[in-house]
Amino acid sequence: MTIQIELRGVNKHYGSFHALKDIDLSIAEGTFVALVGPSGCGKSTLLRSLAGLEKISTGDLKIAGQQMNGVPPRKRDVAMVFQSYALYPHMTVEENLTYSLRIRGVAKAQAKKAAAEVAATTGLSHLLGRYPRELSGGQRQRVAMSRAIIRHPKAFLFDEPLSNLDAALRVHMRKEIRALHDRLHATSVYVTHDQIEAMTMADHVVVMRDGIIEQQGKPLDLYDAPVNKFVAGFIGSPAMNFIPAMVGDDGKTLALDLGTVRGILTVDRTLQPGRKITVGIRPEHIGIAEAGQGSFDVPVAVVESTGFTAFITAATTPELIVVETGRSTVRPGDMVGVRISSDQLHLFDDATGVRV
Amino acid sequence: MNGTTRDRLMLAIAIVMAAIYLFPLYWMYVTTLKSGSEVFATPPSFWPASPQWSTYAFVWESRNMGRYLWNSLVIAFGSVALISVLGVGCAYVLARYRNAWVDVGLFLILMLQVLPASLMITPIFVGFSQLGMLEYPRLAVIIAIAAKSMPFFVVLVRATFMSVPQELEEAALVDGNSRIGAFFSIVLPLARNGILVSALLIFMQAFGEFVYSKSIIQAAELQPASVGLNSFMGPNTNEWNNIMAYATMYVTPILAIFVLLQRRIVSGLTSGALK
Ligand SMILES: Nc1ncnc2c1ncn2[C@@H]1O[C@H](COP(=O)(O)OP(=O)(O)OP(=O)(O)O)[C@@H](O)[C@H]1O
Ligand SMILES: [Mg+2]
Repeated sequence: MTIQIELRGVNKHYGSFHALKDIDLSIAEGTFVALVGPSGCGKSTLLRSLAGLEKISTGDLKIAGQQMNGVPPRKRDVAMVFQSYALYPHMTVEENLTYSLRIRGVAKAQAKKAAAEVAATTGLSHLLGRYPRELSGGQRQRVAMSRAIIRHPKAFLFDEPLSNLDAALRVHMRKEIRALHDRLHATSVYVTHDQIEAMTMADHVVVMRDGIIEQQGKPLDLYDAPVNKFVAGFIGSPAMNFIPAMVGDDGKTLALDLGTVRGILTVDRTLQPGRKITVGIRPEHIGIAEAGQGSFDVPVAVVESTGFTAFITAATTPELIVVETGRSTVRPGDMVGVRISSDQLHLFDDATGVRV
Repeated sequence: MNGTTRDRLMLAIAIVMAAIYLFPLYWMYVTTLKSGSEVFATPPSFWPASPQWSTYAFVWESRNMGRYLWNSLVIAFGSVALISVLGVGCAYVLARYRNAWVDVGLFLILMLQVLPASLMITPIFVGFSQLGMLEYPRLAVIIAIAAKSMPFFVVLVRATFMSVPQELEEAALVDGNSRIGAFFSIVLPLARNGILVSALLIFMQAFGEFVYSKSIIQAAELQPASVGLNSFMGPNTNEWNNIMAYATMYVTPILAIFVLLQRRIVSGLTSGALK
């Protein structure tokens, strides 16, 4: 597979602020890549650098094999969907769609035809004569998408395109964008701060923090084997439980420190005795048992049921959260056993947060 | 006091204030229609006994008003054209680039606005006369007015440009346009209302400009209506009805423009270009 977008040692400085730090990223043609991370981590900066709206300070940036460092946006042949949609307010939907074609000197009739075709696939046919201010949020979003599609660009760049929609529409558009991608097979880079969007839509997820790439890979690889505590906590919902622990004298047991509760877990390998470890356990990997039947017992503080799942919060410090499928019989105040299997533990060094 | 009484009281106050404010205008109009003796009657009459419409034709002919108004128009249009061409680009740059130099530039621009015309006229006159600009007095006045009114225009138009989201421009760049292309096809159309309104305000200022024209233009046939009105009023003037007729013909077109466009002017100044 050919590499469509390639970044080597890319750095971006805003004055004294170092926004992107040694970014290395290769994106194969036709893949859907999600950039996730907390606010201010540099996702938009990276995307805007790809579009040519920001100039990278050092490093190499190639699109379709061509060096793009100093190339202006109009010569990069990428399309971008902005968070605010950035529809031209003084143009009708049709004019918005055909803008890029008209600039390239495409004949009017041909541009109109292209707009009609794209509008038909995105369900905008009846709205072509309207102005952006006469559209709903979801319709504007579709116009923004269509404006990108009509160009058949080398890559699609999305900057949080769904964040202005309500929850139900967001879930729907998520699928629609992915279906669109499967149809067009265009290379796409999708920025979001919502890890669920990233996990469900992308072939390849890039987790960023403070201008560096913490980890990248297939969504489930990130879920199964996060390289550090940050990624482990960022991917997955509800978030992973982190419990401070110490390795026992034999090097095969972990003594968990849950405040008033002490738990002992065995691990299937040998660690340095006395080493301080942070143990990560996903809420969905903890089972509930009768008191005395699990690995250790905890008192229950809160039970929240959504009907399909129940979130059980244990009265420990730090809080332990357990997700149980189906109806739960557990009541606040009960003592319950927790069942934890050793192959679903994530161990991180207490000081550095790196996976052990 | 309940709501409606308060509303009525407020309305009454507003009407009284407006009446006081507009009284001179009313007085100007009725005076034009009075005969020479009626103007000086005591007590003054608030409505002319027999309206003298012929005063207008007489003043227009005898004072050569067509020529004066033509000169005013030349100066006003010239100033607006010069200011628009230079000011729009300047305002755009000041709207889009933020750094210390831009702040300094903006400060200097605002400072120019503070200096009164009567103070500026002496150095301008000396400078122009050394450059030989006084050979072309109307052009000289246009340049002087442009220098004087440019800050006002730049500050207003800059605000308009700032109300056009930068993302729209970026979208146009990614869509394949150049910076200049994006400016003309996206930013300028969206800022059009604000620019037109600012230009209109400049036009009205320049149309009534007096200090520079009076000092720089010596030849009567090149003077604008403001100077013409001034020379009409000597120390022993008693033809107030004629002077008022002159003033009426001078300001009524401007007033009409303002009244017709007032909604657009107000919205152009306050709401920015979008929506
Ligand atoms: N023009 C600029 N000048 C200076 N600093 C900037 C500029 N643009 C962005 N930054 C800084 O760079 C960092 C990364 O910004 P960026 O917009 O890429 O964040 P982000 O990951 O997209 O966040 P969000 O999820 O909130 O959109 C931020 O700390 C921001 O303050
Ligand atoms: Mg962002």
